[in-house]
Amino acid sequence: MSIMRNMFFFLVFMLFASCTAAVCAELDGRAVAMLVHDRPDGEDRAQVCTMTLINRRGATRVRKVEMRSKDYGRDQKSIMLFREPADVKDTMFLSWSYDDVTHEDDRWLYMPAMKSVRRISGASKNEYFMGTDFTYDDIGKRSVDKDTHTLLGEETWEGYDCWKLESIPVDPDDAYARKVSFVDKISHVAVRVEYYDKDGLIKILTIKDLRKVGEFWTVFLSEMDNVSRSHKTVLQIDSIDYDTGVGDELFRVATLQRGRL
Amino acid sequence: MVRLVVALALTFCLTSAGIAQAAGGSWGKADEWADAFDVSGWAELTQSMRTQSPHDKVTSRARMRMELRADFDWLYGFLSLDAEKNWVIDDQTGAAIHEAWLEHTGDMWDLRVGRQVIIWGKADGLRITDNISPTDYTEPLTWDLDNMRLPVDAAKFRILGDSLTAEFIWIPVFRAATQPEKGSLWSVEPFPDSVRLIRHKADKPHGFSLKNSEFAMKLETYTAGFDVSVSVFYTWDDNPAMWYAPGLDEEGIFVDYTPDHRRLTIFGLDFSFPWTDFVFRGEAAFFRGRYLAATDGEPRKKNLVKYLLGVDWTPGNDWTVTAQITDDWIQDYESALSAKEHTPQVTLNVSKQFLSQTLTISNMTFFYLNDGEFVNRLMAEYEVMDGLSVALGWDHIHGDDGSYGMYRQNAQVWGRVRYSF
Repeated sequence: MSIMRNMFFFLVFMLFASCTAAVCAELDGRAVAMLVHDRPDGEDRAQVCTMTLINRRGATRVRKVEMRSKDYGRDQKSIMLFREPADVKDTMFLSWSYDDVTHEDDRWLYMPAMKSVRRISGASKNEYFMGTDFTYDDIGKRSVDKDTHTLLGEETWEGYDCWKLESIPVDPDDAYARKVSFVDKISHVAVRVEYYDKDGLIKILTIKDLRKVGEFWTVFLSEMDNVSRSHKTVLQIDSIDYDTGVGDELFRVATLQRGRL
Repeated sequence: MVRLVVALALTFCLTSAGIAQAAGGSWGKADEWADAFDVSGWAELTQSMRTQSPHDKVTSRARMRMELRADFDWLYGFLSLDAEKNWVIDDQTGAAIHEAWLEHTGDMWDLRVGRQVIIWGKADGLRITDNISPTDYTEPLTWDLDNMRLPVDAAKFRILGDSLTAEFIWIPVFRAATQPEKGSLWSVEPFPDSVRLIRHKADKPHGFSLKNSEFAMKLETYTAGFDVSVSVFYTWDDNPAMWYAPGLDEEGIFVDYTPDHRRLTIFGLDFSFPWTDFVFRGEAAFFRGRYLAATDGEPRKKNLVKYLLGVDWTPGNDWTVTAQITDDWIQDYESALSAKEHTPQVTLNVSKQFLSQTLTISNMTFFYLNDGEFVNRLMAEYEVMDGLSVALGWDHIHGDDGSYGMYRQNAQVWGRVRYSF
């Protein structure tokens, strides 16, 4: 009986030890990046956000954007409508983003002055988005496989217990030479991201307001400080709804051609 | 019928606004109505100076557009009004309805009825399959192409499939292209001033008519990595063919001429696809049976092919480069025709944004390969603050008496202030 009991505890110990070892082994840089990428955020989202652009003299410009997005497996379709300012009002973007790094994204732009839709390059995701300090890549979901991820360690930042993650783009022509992210262990949100090019630090993203909406962690306020051009952008979520059940028809070019959501 | 629709659109927008105010007794209801409405627009002032002597103004105008939208889920109304004061071309001074339409959107279809601008094609600054809305030539080369399209009174019905969209357009009232008034800086006189012109009224379809209607259909698909559309447009030629005959009487030499709009069928094809930092575009239109001007005064009915190949390159750092090559090819060519068998043209547009995309410097060139004539617009536009921009430009025109050269006296430097609200 004693032998049987000892064997049972031994097996339980071995099982626990092997599981722990497996978890530790998996929790490398890529695993942390996957946790960030796959953070639950519903099947679709509808949000209104305000982007405040602040230049070195403190002058501000404001962009108000309505955005809807929907997941299709690991791919995503999103549509954006600019409500403000007046000179870009009703400008719309449609993008179909693919997780497969070999599959270029599809993107279309609707300019109200031209009243027509134009396909734009899906590859230039490192362009700054409408004068902000966010690139198209920053505001979308970047495929995990576009970077090589290394777990640098664990660190506490602004009260968040974080994994410190370094991500180096596979593509040497990428806008960033590397990124260092501080990933909150609870929410799996990168609460601080430092972006570097070959000459050094170019911009810093900091999360200022992180809250749960239902079961989903949501960033309500973030700031992208572009130290290389003394410019920053504050991104504030004015409203957000998850799992609205939006139909596929919204994410078609025909919606852009109509000029409204 | 179309006037009725325009009137309905106006009535819908304006009375709805009135009802919204009248509903003030119930705040919730009033808010609901107020949310359904949206007003926006722009005002701009443009002033130019001729680069050649006598350095007078070529363009001098103040213009305002106001747009009113009303969205009641089941019905959407849009009204835009233009007002202009033109200090160079008096006829342009005034106010007018630009667009006024109503739209209903179903699950798999939508219908837009009323006065509207309809734009087809994928070309940049050129019109190949984009022939639904006629052109306003009142001040050519000074407006962006976006402002040169005239709205048409039409019904547009679309069936929206998962991967295919079918579009049907009915235009029951013909609208011709607007030509510059005689004596205008932009009018082109085909005969010397000493020749007396006897113009017969343009022969064109008038009023609402099923028989004289224009019809268009387009099938298009936007898929991962490739967009393509095919179209057909049964129309009247927006630009009249010119029949003329010289004569001599007791008052001297005269030319008797008659502009005539003739039926025309246009078949179209366009496509675009991306590849890395590039987007490649193509467009072709086959004009079946177009009357083309001839040197003997008797226009010839010919088939014409227009085609264009273009590429957009966005290499990063806010650079954009667009290059296009196009050609008008007259089939079964005769030497008596005024135009050449081929009229190839290239365009190049290079732009770069600076100062966090508040300053845009661009240069656009249209160059005719046959005779070396070109138009070049160098422009800098600065966004002073949200909604307020200032632009400075130099329109250089080079050539003799060709399509661009005939306007060479109107080369100008210009400034524009624009406020959007």
